[in-house]
Amino acid sequence: MDKIPGFDADVAGRPLIALKPESLYAYGDLIRRTEQLILTQFGRGLVSGTTHTCLGQELCQMAVVRALTQAEDVVLSNHRNHGHFLSYSGEFTGLVAEVMGREAGVCGGHGGSQHLAYRHFHSNGVQGGMSGIGVGLGLARKLDNSESIVVVMLGDGTLGQGLLYESLNLASIWDVPILFVVENNGIAQTTDTTSTIGGDIEARGRAFGLSTWRLDDANPLLFEQVEKVVEEVRHGHRPGFLVIDTKRLGPHSKGDDLRPDSEMQAIGQRDPLTALGQRLPEQTRLSIEELNQAFIQEIEAAATASPEACFADPPRHIFTCAAVEPECSETTPPAGQGENVRTHLNRALHHLLESSDKTIVLGEDLHDPYGGAFKVTAGLSSKFSGRVLSTPISEAGITGVTIGLSVAGYRPVMEVMFADFLTLCMDQLYNHAVKFPGVFRDVEVPLVIRAPSGGGRGYGPTHSQSPENIFTSVPGLTVVFGSHRHDVAGLLVNATTEWRYPVLFLEHKLLYGQIQDPGEFLPLDTNSDDVAAHLFPTLVRRRDRPDVTILTYGGMLPMVEKVAEYLEEEEELEVEIIVPALLSPLPKASLIAHLGDSTRLAIVEEAHDDFGVSAEILASLMETGYRGRAIRIGTPPVPISSARSLECQILPSEERIINEVVSLFN
Amino acid sequence: MPHPVYVPCVNINDDIVLIVDVTVSAGDTVKTGDMIAEVETDKAVIPVEAEQDGYVLKVLCDVEERVKVGAVMMWIGDSPDEPVPELVSKVPAEESSGKSSLQPTAKAQVLLDKHKLDAGQIPHQGERLTVRDIEAFIAGEGSTAAIVKAAQVDIQQGGEELLPGTPGSLRSLSAEEHGMVSTVTWHRDHAVAAYLEMTYDQQAWEDYAAAFAERHKFMLSPLLPLMAYRLVKLARDIPKINTTLVNGQKYLYDQVNLGFTVQVGETLYLTVVQQADAMDDRQFIDALGEVQRHAMAKKLRPDESIGATLGFSSMARWNVSRHVPVLAPYTALMVAHSAPPGDGQSAVLGASYDHRILSGNDVAGVLQALTQPPEV
Repeated sequence: MDKIPGFDADVAGRPLIALKPESLYAYGDLIRRTEQLILTQFGRGLVSGTTHTCLGQELCQMAVVRALTQAEDVVLSNHRNHGHFLSYSGEFTGLVAEVMGREAGVCGGHGGSQHLAYRHFHSNGVQGGMSGIGVGLGLARKLDNSESIVVVMLGDGTLGQGLLYESLNLASIWDVPILFVVENNGIAQTTDTTSTIGGDIEARGRAFGLSTWRLDDANPLLFEQVEKVVEEVRHGHRPGFLVIDTKRLGPHSKGDDLRPDSEMQAIGQRDPLTALGQRLPEQTRLSIEELNQAFIQEIEAAATASPEACFADPPRHIFTCAAVEPECSETTPPAGQGENVRTHLNRALHHLLESSDKTIVLGEDLHDPYGGAFKVTAGLSSKFSGRVLSTPISEAGITGVTIGLSVAGYRPVMEVMFADFLTLCMDQLYNHAVKFPGVFRDVEVPLVIRAPSGGGRGYGPTHSQSPENIFTSVPGLTVVFGSHRHDVAGLLVNATTEWRYPVLFLEHKLLYGQIQDPGEFLPLDTNSDDVAAHLFPTLVRRRDRPDVTILTYGGMLPMVEKVAEYLEEEEELEVEIIVPALLSPLPKASLIAHLGDSTRLAIVEEAHDDFGVSAEILASLMETGYRGRAIRIGTPPVPISSARSLECQILPSEERIINEVVSLFN
Repeated sequence: MPHPVYVPCVNINDDIVLIVDVTVSAGDTVKTGDMIAEVETDKAVIPVEAEQDGYVLKVLCDVEERVKVGAVMMWIGDSPDEPVPELVSKVPAEESSGKSSLQPTAKAQVLLDKHKLDAGQIPHQGERLTVRDIEAFIAGEGSTAAIVKAAQVDIQQGGEELLPGTPGSLRSLSAEEHGMVSTVTWHRDHAVAAYLEMTYDQQAWEDYAAAFAERHKFMLSPLLPLMAYRLVKLARDIPKINTTLVNGQKYLYDQVNLGFTVQVGETLYLTVVQQADAMDDRQFIDALGEVQRHAMAKKLRPDESIGATLGFSSMARWNVSRHVPVLAPYTALMVAHSAPPGDGQSAVLGASYDHRILSGNDVAGVLQALTQPPEV
């Protein structure tokens, strides 16, 4: 916290804003002046990108945040976050420098105006995107028996976003200590929200069973009223939904205010901050304003003096705390010989739940006696009651919860029932989970999402896909896909306990029943350039002088093994098989070292091979001067038909793989 | 009418079940609810019951067989002697992985490409052309498809012999050994081989070869290649010696492919210079040299080891004073050059010939001409 004239910090380092009018006015005025400074800097071309000021909404933004008295209370905000942030942190220089892209910025220039993370304050630029995460953070606090709460700041425009409703529902069924605050200023960017909001705003909160209030920031009793609301949520152990009517005095960002003058005048006349100032003795107000003016000038000077943010070493990936070879890692108790993949995974989950209270397993229909759609979680909910959660059908919401739990220090392992549904989680992964570790040094998101993947069962176009090619291209997402030759339990335990970044853990449906047995497969030597490779090893079935190498992964391996057998017997070929488990970040150095000299290479995947994993491997090889012949065998970019007889003509078949490999020899 | 009994779907995750028991057979009567079979999945043993009264027409599965869920396992008819329908699937049968008989294996294809061979020109032992077939072809001494085939029959016939009484061990023939057996077998079974020889003074040839060597700056005497070349030229003038017999008819070759024996280690190769008659002497010597080099390196190209129309053999290197060579398949004449028994003594020039084509007189004339180098 900056040395703010007239304000002290509490034990957690947050500004203490007393309930007295002079304090409230002083701080509100500071916020307004900061916003005005930022707009001025914007006009001077000194602001990086865009910004969204809270002019006119200062008191609304202050009211809830100042009422949070516990050190572990959380504030999640959105693009219009400056008032929240300043009330939470008192970091005026930090904010202005951040918006200006300077080293002294509170996030080092990485986040800019919208994306801030500071202790338990976190804002992000996707409408409603933090709401599920808030539920996760709140759930963690509930599990910790903490008195702290989570506040999620929303606008009335956010009420169009689906994820928000999933979050309200989740908060309700789990009784999460969370307060959703709708700052209702009647306008979403340039659109009047009377045309975008169906029905009643408060009724939304009530419909989900949340305690609901409606306040007005023009009411002089706003701050007391808000304090009461916060206390009710904290002590009542029910989630809340608070609507505060307010008005935006400034544009959405800059220059995009198309409201008529008459409306702007009315807003100006209503302005609660001005009204608050008017209620003070004039001398008091003037001296406050003078002090504030001087302070803001100091802030401006300090921020402007800070050099432009610069990478000492531009990052090649987000994995700064790459796992080192563990000296003694958690090991799963060995499973029996001759047990199938499903049993191994079940044991791994069992071990994870048993070895740490922080492990949470969540997903749809996991509880006993059903035990999950593919029975991977059978027996767990009975044994670990309260930590194996069957959720509503809310993939995006659950992903948010998983992110929140992991940020709060839990080890959530989420199950998505079919990998096809992972697309419902995409925004939470792409714009949230993988962004946090990359943007904010101190935020860790050690989550695991498991999903059964693949076809061959006739389940049809939306229950048969292998979507790894989409998710490997999400920067910062680790994608692991084991086979029945891999120690899948080891892979899952490593993903959960050893790797501190978001992991997508794919499992092929047809491998669940296969016996897990390495057979002739041995781990490939790792290369220290390959991030996380030792946690998720590549396997290889060697031949002395291979005529062709087939690379594959996941559920294709049994078919590839059959193909190799045929090729060796009928085509007199020596066939080497190489099977990575880590698809992203791809262990390029070790793969290239091994494949670089091969004369013929076939890569077989069940996913669409256009723009896929095989394409990435071949491109990497090409870059190092690969001179052999190579071919990709995958699924064409068409939906996977349901009839078994049609499905087997679309997915790679033994015949097609054999023919394609043999064609490498013509 | 016949009613199918389907392999039941017990749980969605199991595509295949095991037939544990079949309690009826064709001809039995069943009543609705009677157990007719038992199947086992990952999890449990489930009875299969008759869904109607009737007669078992046909049972399509066996105990201990793994069957696909949804397949027909049995037919039950309303009467005991109804025909059982054939189920016709419109799904194209999986592309047969049986290949046409000449389709080479992938590894064999690599070899074909490497040696620029055509699969069609290579005989194969099994259904498909294999690496072994190609290696045998490449190493084979002038074997053509027909010869190897013929020889195969001969060799196979030998399978009825008793093993010798003295202790020993059986081993298969190598490709080269195979080729040798094919050659001598053709000589025995097809040609009517006779032999002639005459003595001569080698001096004229030695002088001729020395002069040639000096003119062309050769280090070694090209005597034998020059003598072989003379034979090529003679063949142009006397087409009869460049002829063979096939199926009772004379086969007159359009070109002279000169076969020249080369011993490399334990292997005797008949190296071939194709179209030797189209070359001048220098070209021929160079071509022969190259072919011999390939033979030394055991890297003979197929066209360098097949198709001889005329042969030349020398054992002078080993001081052999007389040898009666085996005729290469489909040749009528193989000249045999030997070393003079001692200094200053006459050398012997001989020839094996196929008496079906050539007479002693023909051959004598050739040898006579051959004992003299060409007019300078």
